[in-house]
Amino acid sequence: MLSLFALYAAAGVLPAATLVVNVRTPEGHTLAGAVVTVRSLDAPGRHAAPVHAVMDQVNRSFAPDLLVIPVGSTVEFPNSDSVSHQIYSFSPAKRFQLPLYRGKPYPPVHFEQPGVVTLGCNIHDEMLAYLLVTDAAWYGRTDGGGSFSAEVPRGRYHVALWHPRLRDNETDLERELTVGDGDRAELTLRLTHGLQPAPLADRPHSWDY
Amino acid sequence: MHRPALLLVLLGLCAVSRATDWELSLDARLVSSDAYPSFMEGGLGTLRFGSDDSGVRLGRARFAITQPLGELWSAHLDASVFDDQGASPLGVTEAYALFRPYPFAGYRFRLKAGGFYPPVSLENRSAGWESPYTLSYSAINSWLAVEVRTIGLEGTLDWLGSRSGHAFDLGVTGGVFGWNDRAGVVVASNGFVFTDRQTPLFGRVGQPGVRPLNGAEPFMEIDHRAGAYAGLEARYLDRAVLRVLRYDNRADPTDIDTVSHVIAWDTRFTSAGVRLEGDHGWSAIVQWLGGVTTIAPQSMTLNWPFQAQFALLSKRFGRSTLSARYDRFAVQTNAPEVYGAQDGHAWTAAYLFDADTHWRFALECMRVVSSSANREEQGGPPLATETQWQLAVRYVIGSAIR
Repeated sequence: MLSLFALYAAAGVLPAATLVVNVRTPEGHTLAGAVVTVRSLDAPGRHAAPVHAVMDQVNRSFAPDLLVIPVGSTVEFPNSDSVSHQIYSFSPAKRFQLPLYRGKPYPPVHFEQPGVVTLGCNIHDEMLAYLLVTDAAWYGRTDGGGSFSAEVPRGRYHVALWHPRLRDNETDLERELTVGDGDRAELTLRLTHGLQPAPLADRPHSWDY
Repeated sequence: MHRPALLLVLLGLCAVSRATDWELSLDARLVSSDAYPSFMEGGLGTLRFGSDDSGVRLGRARFAITQPLGELWSAHLDASVFDDQGASPLGVTEAYALFRPYPFAGYRFRLKAGGFYPPVSLENRSAGWESPYTLSYSAINSWLAVEVRTIGLEGTLDWLGSRSGHAFDLGVTGGVFGWNDRAGVVVASNGFVFTDRQTPLFGRVGQPGVRPLNGAEPFMEIDHRAGAYAGLEARYLDRAVLRVLRYDNRADPTDIDTVSHVIAWDTRFTSAGVRLEGDHGWSAIVQWLGGVTTIAPQSMTLNWPFQAQFALLSKRFGRSTLSARYDRFAVQTNAPEVYGAQDGHAWTAAYLFDADTHWRFALECMRVVSSSANREEQGGPPLATETQWQLAVRYVIGSAIR
């Protein structure tokens, strides 16, 4: 066993274990859709590979209304609506605007800085979406059971949680976790405060904001 | 349809390009009313349709167009035909240019120039300044529809907290306007009414020669002094809006128009309201408006303080919207024989059904109980109860309606 470990170490690859993060509301219910990011404390320079993602505009909403992308990724913002949209972000992580358009007239937008990018439409104030640009090596959103899992090498990790409607201080939800000999390491994060109310799902388009 | 209306629609259709948004709608009503004759016909009824208006009526035919002008400007035009006995059945209810630069560092500025409603209503939030809750507007918003409009400039500065990690947005608004020196003539002469007829810009209310309004023109500039308003708005996510506005048309109440010989009405008011949006389709609005309108002919100073409030509760389920509203309204005066004094309350219940994106059906019942010095002087009862039923069918087509 020891020799096997040494072999993996020599190859620079430690055997994978499953890191599981469970997210719970203050009442103890599972929370789906929360963003979990996992950074290796042993290899802090390790990042996930950039991706190409699409955030559409359908029925005067962004679809999806939340994307998590690694630093260096590109995102396309087509407009599938029959009305024109005018997309903007003034978030420090990425300031940009896409002048009035329908269809797919613009090239993908490149996101080089980590951080939260809040998107709006300058015509339709009810439109709101988020991009979380992350420099973490592992990331994802909790599933219907409030869990996120990743296959990671054994080692020490920093786990962070984010949600667009979070009331808790983000730093209060950061944890360090060691994935040791077992093949599974589990962590449960419980929010102290309930989330802010979700945007109204059934708001008629004809209403002003 | 009148020739100018046809011309307007044709012009509009010619201007339609790929970037243009347009909407055309027709709203027909079946009315049953026991109300006194409408204020539009020189009557002292409080409802849009009096008993002699029972039958099939045109609620509104509307054509609206939004044309982007370059990247940051757009032009908006809302034209309507109303089937009332007014001298202005056709006209433009709002027409303005909007300058909308991109938000910068969390702030956004907007500038509106033209003719439009000042930001008072929390109820009239649908296209064409209509209410998505009821057919008839509240007393407050009916009054605005009849004789208040900004013909001038309005600037708004918003702090977009909800776009920078906070739960709140805040905004300040200021407006400067002319051509509203007669705002107040209708509320002083007729009191508050309940209608969804919007007086077109520079249009008349009622018929010339028919007292007491005599085809009043609310949108006149008499004293060449600009009016102004300032307001605040606060929002919590998309769940709550608080709006406060102070309005003063700064009219000189002694000034008389040299051509038409009508006097300027000095009108000031403050309005405050909250709209709450809950889960499961619940909405609630509470709004208050209080002010005074004054004229000072021949060294007399006559004033009419007025107040109105309403509370509205609405629930959407599927394609249906069920709403109930309670209004209170009052006008006092120091005028001889308390001319124009009024006091009353009203209940409105409405059921709206959006069959699809084109067809909407609505049923509304309004019951108004009011006292009116003018009506009593003409032999009416001290306290009158008026009831109006409306069944409405609306068909709408447009560039964004599929």
